[in-house]
Amino acid sequence: MALSKEELKEAILAKAAKSPKPQLYVKDFHACDPDSKARAVKNAANELVKEGKMVFWSSGSTTMYALKDRAKDEEHRSA
Amino acid sequence: MSKHDTPLLDELEKGPWPSFVSDIKRQAEKKPECWDILGQLELSYEEKITHWKHGGIVGVFGYGGGIVGRYSDMPDRFPGVAHFHTVRVNQPSSKFYSTAKLRAICDLWEKYGSGMTNMHGSTGDMILLGTTTEHLEPLFYDLTHELKQDLGGSGSNLRTPACCLGKARCEWSCFDTQAICHHLTMHYQDEVHRPAFPYKFKFKFSGCPNDCVASIARSDLSVIGTWKDDIQIDQAAVQAYIKGEYKVNGGAHDGRDWGPFDIDKEVLALCPTNCMRMNGDELQIQTSECTRCMHCINVMPRALKPGKEQGATLLVGAKAPILDGAQFATMIVPFIKIDPENEFQEVIDFIENIWDWWMENGKNRERTGEAIQRIGLPSFLQIMNIEPIPQHIKEPRSNPYVFWKEEEVEGGWDRDIREFRKRHAQ
Repeated sequence: MALSKEELKEAILAKAAKSPKPQLYVKDFHACDPDSKARAVKNAANELVKEGKMVFWSSGSTTMYALKDRAKDEEHRSA
Repeated sequence: MSKHDTPLLDELEKGPWPSFVSDIKRQAEKKPECWDILGQLELSYEEKITHWKHGGIVGVFGYGGGIVGRYSDMPDRFPGVAHFHTVRVNQPSSKFYSTAKLRAICDLWEKYGSGMTNMHGSTGDMILLGTTTEHLEPLFYDLTHELKQDLGGSGSNLRTPACCLGKARCEWSCFDTQAICHHLTMHYQDEVHRPAFPYKFKFKFSGCPNDCVASIARSDLSVIGTWKDDIQIDQAAVQAYIKGEYKVNGGAHDGRDWGPFDIDKEVLALCPTNCMRMNGDELQIQTSECTRCMHCINVMPRALKPGKEQGATLLVGAKAPILDGAQFATMIVPFIKIDPENEFQEVIDFIENIWDWWMENGKNRERTGEAIQRIGLPSFLQIMNIEPIPQHIKEPRSNPYVFWKEEEVEGGWDRDIREFRKRHAQ
């Protein structure tokens, strides 16, 4: 049975915190709950961004997700 | 007064053509950060390497696209472009806007950015080049509240849909490209503004097979107008072209003497399927053989028009050459009605079938066309619940699409091959 939205969000946060990579593709979160539809995983990840717990990292052509304090931030590196 | 010596760039100001270097120099008189664009570009020309970095977490609240972070990797030497973000603004369908609106956008960009624009980017959006992070939110507020414009798509989002001029200015358009482009832009606001997919996804709409937005080469879903019935022929106008009374190609090739119009050489012989002929004074077209190449209609627009039963062809999977070379879209649905009455539901159903499959099965950074190539067209057709038809074949024997399943074969896969060979010698 698929996780509830809140459970899915928790699982996504846990995965983002544990992953050796600071930024993850939305596809990387599919493993958090194989029973959840891709669209549900995407919606949960986007909601975490809305809540300020995660951020989008975009190269311009691709978008990834990261915990706010783990994102690779060019802004501060180049300042 | 120039801040950097730019002898290599100065070469690009010579000659009769307009020069982006001159444009940037002119803008730099008002916006000094533009001198650093020239300085950094000159250095790149010398060293043959870019000094731009791109990507990051910059954006406006609630949006996961529309802003692309740009940074110089030499911020100490070129502080004016240390942060120089790009903003994509969703263009109106067919890029219709008043000069007053264009002036307002330029004024806004002079206020919050470098004043440099790219009209339009190859994405279709209006591209505003160069601002800093602290200007993004105020710019976004004014853009949306005062100018009623929105940001476009970037990243793994649905990209800003684009369309040709359509029925607004073109008699050949077989559906209202502006209506569907606008409707789907509004319908899919979440997908345009927030990442939804393994990679980018683009729609483009062309009203006829001339494909003026080049959707067949540039979009994951290409919608190209077509017709089912016969090309409409005005035989009197055909004769007028033959007699030289009408200018061929609408006069587009005037200015040189091409000699008298020769319908055999310039139209009939160039038909890719040889589906046309002159029977005495009558032009005849065998519709079943016509591939809608548009050549005859382009040459004799007063004599020939698309048929009356109009709709569109749906093609999937074009992309630029990052992996495995450039790819044209593959024809999947030869004809579909484009119906504004039911809010384009048939096209929406088709799109969402693709997305449901691609979101589950597409790899990271894999375009739809690459995913189709990986699994094969027959599997994709099965996923889309589309019966294979001869038009799906590129050429005989090169991409077979009929694959028998075990349950469809008498005896399944377990037949006795020795028994079989007794009757069918190898």
